[in-house]
Amino acid sequence: MSWRVLRLEGVGKDFDRADGGVAQVLRDVTLTVERGSFFTLLGPSGCGKSTLLNIVAGFEGATTGGVSLDDTPVTGPGTDRTVIFQDVSNALFPWMNARENVEFGPKMARLGARARQELSEKYLRLVGLDADGGKFPFELSGGMKQRIQIARALANDPDILLMDEPFAALDAITKKHLQVEFRKIWNETGKTIFYITHDIFEALLLSTHLAVMTAGPEAGIKEIFQIDLKEPRSPSNPDFAALYSRVESLIDEEVQRMRAR
Amino acid sequence: MNPRKLLLRTLSAACALGLWWLSSGTLFNPILVPPPHKVAVNLWEMTAEGEILFHAWASLRRVIVGYAFGSVLGILTGVAVARIRIAEDMLEPPLQFVRNITPVAIIPLAVNAFGLEEPSKYFVIIYSTIIPVVFNTAAGVASTPQIRVRAAMCLGAGRWEIFARVVLPSAWPFILTGLRVALGFAFMGVVAAEMIAAESGVGYLIMQSRNMLLPEQMFSGLFLLGLIGLVTDRAFQFTIGRLMRRYMLQTAAFD
Ligand SMILES: Nc1ncnc2c1ncn2[C@@H]1O[C@H](COP(=O)(O)OP(=O)(O)OP(=O)(O)O)[C@@H](O)[C@H]1O
Ligand SMILES: [Mg+2]
Repeated sequence: MSWRVLRLEGVGKDFDRADGGVAQVLRDVTLTVERGSFFTLLGPSGCGKSTLLNIVAGFEGATTGGVSLDDTPVTGPGTDRTVIFQDVSNALFPWMNARENVEFGPKMARLGARARQELSEKYLRLVGLDADGGKFPFELSGGMKQRIQIARALANDPDILLMDEPFAALDAITKKHLQVEFRKIWNETGKTIFYITHDIFEALLLSTHLAVMTAGPEAGIKEIFQIDLKEPRSPSNPDFAALYSRVESLIDEEVQRMRAR
Repeated sequence: MNPRKLLLRTLSAACALGLWWLSSGTLFNPILVPPPHKVAVNLWEMTAEGEILFHAWASLRRVIVGYAFGSVLGILTGVAVARIRIAEDMLEPPLQFVRNITPVAIIPLAVNAFGLEEPSKYFVIIYSTIIPVVFNTAAGVASTPQIRVRAAMCLGAGRWEIFARVVLPSAWPFILTGLRVALGFAFMGVVAAEMIAAESGVGYLIMQSRNMLLPEQMFSGLFLLGLIGLVTDRAFQFTIGRLMRRYMLQTAAFD
């Protein structure tokens, strides 16, 4: 499908709470994600980042407003958007080896065995696991599993990858490697990325656009940045450091506000 | 098996036999509780005469038929309860009620309803099998991680594919646990039913031997029961290990 922008317009979300009340989580979220960009949402814990991503994925409907690709409304999950989950052990199919996991999407698309194999080879190579196709998820480390999940998503050729803190559960070293590698993959594949993190450093390292959210309830967008830092990006670069502290103070403001309530 | 384990196991078996041998004639009347060597002789004779095989096969045949029906019915019902709202609302209460009625207690009803022949045995076995299978299947289906289903949706799986390729495989460890428990229940059910009304089978053999004052034969029946249970359970695990290994990878080793 050829579209130019992913649009969120006046998105609000209420949940019915178990105690009978209503949780007003999101209020009037409006933003535009251009095709090919790396758009990151950053916000205090519990503000509604995952909720927003689930709405974009089509897993949940918005209470008000809506999501659309150009003018086509998003009404449910679709193969044009694939989610990369943080909880990779549950996201992968444990009874399938790495190759079979990667071939799941192509299989659903009714591709033949030959075409599927070509795809799984290509994407396992892209994530550096071409030698591990026969291994089952339980035989792989957390970082390797996350690579498999990325390969599985890419083999299905979605337009948008929706990523909910994909590297947050990994150790610092693995995380750093995957961040660098993933940025390369994004460069090579030209996918549109909708990314969630609460790690400012990660956000500045990866994104082309960064939206900082306000604290919930009734969370919204506080500020949106376009990031044009000098490549390769490095925290020792003064512009990087300045932007870092700017974003950090925004987040701190929100956390203070949340505490004050 | 390492030598130490083998030694310990031999030792414990020898102790059990020794205690049995000592108690027969001291603690118990040796006519009613005969010593192990007499039972061994009887077991040998009955095997040679083909009686062991006859009764074992009679029970086994009943279990195969009843267990097959009970398993299929149990899986289908369990899936329905977990996935279909109406089925849950309609079936959950009666199932919760009925699960308290042990299979043994259902035997008189089975005889009244289905007579003294095979159908009443099948009924008891199906009843014994279906309860654990339904509850385990329903629990397994309901426990499929939501994000696994969502991942499959993103990858283009339709409703049926999600069920067949994601929900069912996720539930297999639970279903197989239920099936294994049910296999044990099926034998308990059939033996009890045979004790009350039958002309063949291990339960019949045990009851008849007691009535006819043939205690050696009664012990042979008990031994046979233990052996059949052990062999079928091992066969079950072996088959699962062969056919369903990849579905068991998501849980601790199946043993
Ligand atoms: N199904 C639900 N029912 C009721 N409340 C919900 C539900 N899902 C989320 N919430 C509430 O919505 C708010 C936002 O949750 P969400 O998971 O989107 O936050 P988040 O920004 O992703 O947080 P984190 O950074 O910790 O992942 C939370 O207060 C949460 O309690
Ligand atoms: Mg979240």
